[in-house]
Amino acid sequence: MAGPRGRALLALCAALAAGGWLLGVGAQEPGESAAGMRRRRRLQQEDGISFEYHRYPELREALVSVWLQCTAISRIYTVGRSFEGRELLVIELSDNPGVHEPGEPEFKYVGNMHGNEAVGRELLIFLAQYLCNEYQKGNETIVNLIHSTRIHIMPSLNPDGFEKAASQPGELKDWFVGRSNAQGIDLNRNFPDLDRIVYVNEKEGGPNNHLLKNLKKIVDQNAKLAPETKGVIHWIMDIPFVLSANLHGGDLVANYPYDETRSGSAHEYSSCPDDAIFQSLARSYSSYNPAMSDPSRPPCRKNDDDSSFVDGTTNGAAWYSVPGGMQDFNYLSSNCFEITVELSCEKFPPEETLKSYWEDNKNSLINYLEQIHRGVKGFVRDLQGNPIANATISVEGIDHDVISAKDGDYWRLLVPGNYKLTASAPGYLAITKKVAVPYSPAVGVDFELESFSERKEEEKEELMEWWKMMSETLNF
Amino acid sequence: MGFRAAWALVLLLPGGLIHGFPKPRGVEDKSLHNRELSAERPLNEQIAEAEADKIKNISPPENTPGETNYSFVDNLNLLKAITEKEKIEKEKQSIRSSPFDNKLNVEDVDSTKNRKPIDDYDSTKSGLDHKFQDDPDGLHQLDGTPLTADDIVHKIATRIYEENDRGVFDKIVSKLLNLGLITESQAHTLEDEVAEALQKLISKEANNYEEELNKSTSRTENQAGKTPGKVTLKATTQNGFTNRESDETISNTLTLANGLERRTKTYSEENFEELQYFPHFYALLKSIDSEKEAKEKETLITIMKTLIDFVKMMVKYGTISPEEGVAYLENLDETIALQTKNKLEKNATDNKSKLFPEKTEAYLEAIRKNIEWLKKHDKKGNKEDYDLSKMRDFINQQADAYVAKGILDKEEASAIKRIYSTL
Repeated sequence: MAGPRGRALLALCAALAAGGWLLGVGAQEPGESAAGMRRRRRLQQEDGISFEYHRYPELREALVSVWLQCTAISRIYTVGRSFEGRELLVIELSDNPGVHEPGEPEFKYVGNMHGNEAVGRELLIFLAQYLCNEYQKGNETIVNLIHSTRIHIMPSLNPDGFEKAASQPGELKDWFVGRSNAQGIDLNRNFPDLDRIVYVNEKEGGPNNHLLKNLKKIVDQNAKLAPETKGVIHWIMDIPFVLSANLHGGDLVANYPYDETRSGSAHEYSSCPDDAIFQSLARSYSSYNPAMSDPSRPPCRKNDDDSSFVDGTTNGAAWYSVPGGMQDFNYLSSNCFEITVELSCEKFPPEETLKSYWEDNKNSLINYLEQIHRGVKGFVRDLQGNPIANATISVEGIDHDVISAKDGDYWRLLVPGNYKLTASAPGYLAITKKVAVPYSPAVGVDFELESFSERKEEEKEELMEWWKMMSETLNF
Repeated sequence: MGFRAAWALVLLLPGGLIHGFPKPRGVEDKSLHNRELSAERPLNEQIAEAEADKIKNISPPENTPGETNYSFVDNLNLLKAITEKEKIEKEKQSIRSSPFDNKLNVEDVDSTKNRKPIDDYDSTKSGLDHKFQDDPDGLHQLDGTPLTADDIVHKIATRIYEENDRGVFDKIVSKLLNLGLITESQAHTLEDEVAEALQKLISKEANNYEEELNKSTSRTENQAGKTPGKVTLKATTQNGFTNRESDETISNTLTLANGLERRTKTYSEENFEELQYFPHFYALLKSIDSEKEAKEKETLITIMKTLIDFVKMMVKYGTISPEEGVAYLENLDETIALQTKNKLEKNATDNKSKLFPEKTEAYLEAIRKNIEWLKKHDKKGNKEDYDLSKMRDFINQQADAYVAKGILDKEEASAIKRIYSTL
């Protein structure tokens, strides 16, 4: 190939190759180059946790990595799809993933329901990896937690919003861009407003729990509900969650029910029947987060009104009224007690701060998880030992009941004290028991309920016995 | 039961109050990151600069006429080869009735105007024709000296004159433009020069005829307005052949002058229409969405220009013949167009495939940790005999289930299965 023609050919090929390279460079993702992202990932990694923002593909991959590492204790599933078709991914961690073991309480963390409040999303990804790592290292606390709880982690309830927020160029993100879902719906105002109903019932008489019973069809047919909202509602109906937290950003506080003011005013402390345990639960989060519980911390913004904040906690309505929120929906439609945690003054802070947010929240996240093992728990069965589902467990002095799950199991969170618990079910005779509740662990109290027919039979037999005795004595 | 019905009704009432909450507005966004491929610009500028120099140097003769003239003439040569082909095709189609007529803005249409000057002209009269025929590559004058820029302009003008078709000029100039060898302003300049040369030609020929006619006809008729160098409509007063000739050539020049506007309209929007020699490339460029993939388009054009430059150089140094150069470019056109198409189509998967090995690495690491832990904590206690096959089955099952639910994509699932099968 030495001749001039050959040289020309070679040169042409070189030019073609150069052209090919130029062509290849053309198609790039906006913002950072892929190579740049990979490099950063390696630098900020710690035991498989990469302290950087995860877009939807990376989120999915991170969860898959956790599953692959901990197949024995994890499972990924989806609660539905966002408006734009992204899966609402959940990773479940328990010693028997995919299975509700009778008596094992169910816990959930939900992040990023406002798409531009990004810290919660990332913390939950880190948490999943952390739990897996620690479990394999033999960390006793974590091992016990995973063996005794079924933990569900949903890093993002609004993946569409997040993509919008994350796609903004530069580090300074708008306060509102990406907050709502792809339809422009604020998911934390989209839940059926059960508070209103409860407030009416309080005045006129009526239940204040499980208000969504039998209304599943109405939920499905409600056109105003976002697909994300619907997915969560079904999730709540399907799994007997006991404790939950809803992660947000824009401030630094642990917020508890009720979120909506009774009178309809802008701010007003509106306590729910379980105010005592909720305060305790909120504190169990904030007290382990140094920034949140710092008494001398200035408010996030100069003119913010944080007068309602106490020890890093606040009643929702006392701070500002929120109708249609997910937190109260949990409390009023199911057994689940949920608080709202505001994790950061900045909704979408720079990536470099994520590691420190993890350090600040790591212990809070674990401690809050452990709160599920408090109060009273047990089984409601009939005299033959069969579970009684949907039995009501009420506590004297607290106007809010919980109901037993399919295996007859129940969990009732309570602050330390002496209580009278009553278990009842239609067609059964109620039983009341006295219980002394410590801070933790949960006290086991089981109920064996006698049905009416059984009692009737008993009474009949007793009567027959008496008659027999009488007749023998009196020589009938 | 009454209150239940009541609260059911309440539930159906429209939803609650919407509260604005006291949050401050965010800070303004920064401007978008500029994604220009900086490597392209210098090349473009280089070509433009180089050609600007060449064109500028056309008027005063250079010390080294060889270099610049060669490349300019080379282009012309290459284009000539191209246009020759076109011409042959056109001839076959026998559309030789003057397209020129359409450009006539003149009012009266005389059937005799359909006659072409070339039919009436004796080729020996122009003398230049000779050169074209004897000098296939047009690089040299008859006496062997290399062509100057002036010569080139003259050649073009002659060509136009003979063909009586300003389309020739249009084609040549558009090709030069499209190949990035000249800029718009240079094209304007060239047009002016060619127009001038053409004028001279016309007036020269007109004078020749005049002289002839003067011999046979009265002087008075032809005296008015036949000033050389000033071709105006006044000159079209006379009868017969001269008038017709003048009309046509005058119109020719006029349209040339008017052509400035027309040309800018035509060529700015449809830059690549003339790239008939690069059909695939042209088709590809058209298929690229100018808004979304402007960068791709730019890149492609630059590549094409670079490669054409390259071919020109080879032709210039005699490494290959012009025909071969053209053939190379043809092949190139097909290859590039195909390559780019594939790349553009694979855009979505392209990123994925780049990141995929990286992702597989992460997954591999996770799987490794899993196996390690499982071996340690095997409940049966047989550390060596850990049942990997069961694990494999479980993983296969789960992977498939996850693909069905949209949790894993197919490639990931197969990669994971593959990793497990190799353990």
